[in-house]
Amino acid sequence: MHYLRISDQPIEVGELYEKLVAPEYGGIDMFVGTVRQWTGPVETKEIEYSAYHPMAERQLEKLAEPIEAAGGRVVVAHRTGRLKLTDIAVFVGVAAPHRAEAFEWCRYIIDTLKQEVPIWKKEYDTDKVRWGN
Amino acid sequence: MKISVKLFAFLGDQLGPVVTIDLPTNTTVAAIKNAITALDPLVKETVENSRLAINQEFINQSEITLNSTDEVALIPPVSGG
Repeated sequence: MHYLRISDQPIEVGELYEKLVAPEYGGIDMFVGTVRQWTGPVETKEIEYSAYHPMAERQLEKLAEPIEAAGGRVVVAHRTGRLKLTDIAVFVGVAAPHRAEAFEWCRYIIDTLKQEVPIWKKEYDTDKVRWGN
Repeated sequence: MKISVKLFAFLGDQLGPVVTIDLPTNTTVAAIKNAITALDPLVKETVENSRLAINQEFINQSEITLNSTDEVALIPPVSGG
């Protein structure tokens, strides 16, 4: 059963990993996205994330459902609120019987999340404030 | 009909979290975008790149029929992850 969460609570990787462990799975792939200091010449100090609840959760469910129907397990957590450098913004974990699907599904979820899930970042950079990418 | 449109990110910063616009029941995504751009020309580019959601589902068609109970939102390009 998938676990999807968008909240201002810190992301604990160990806790989320535990949700992916089960005897039927032989491969667990996890992606952890963190707040990066440099984007080319631009220096970031903090990032504030906001979301359109509960549409964002529903969009995540749409990503998870076909993977769960195909025999995987999906765990996604996304932070909202103000994050500092190195803080975890997003966790995507997929457990699958074999590694090929685990890699493929995990990548699909993080790539599609960045296109289809209504979450936004507001970057506080040293020169100015920037919305989005 | 008065329609409340939820706004987010840059659009919410510029215009507030909700704006009310006056449109016929049978309308288009373009008409909604034009009405919002008319409130502040600074949002034009972001509005053009935004997608409309009705009742928390992205809308792909250009012509829409709105009910007074619909939750309408303009979704600027997302940037989570």
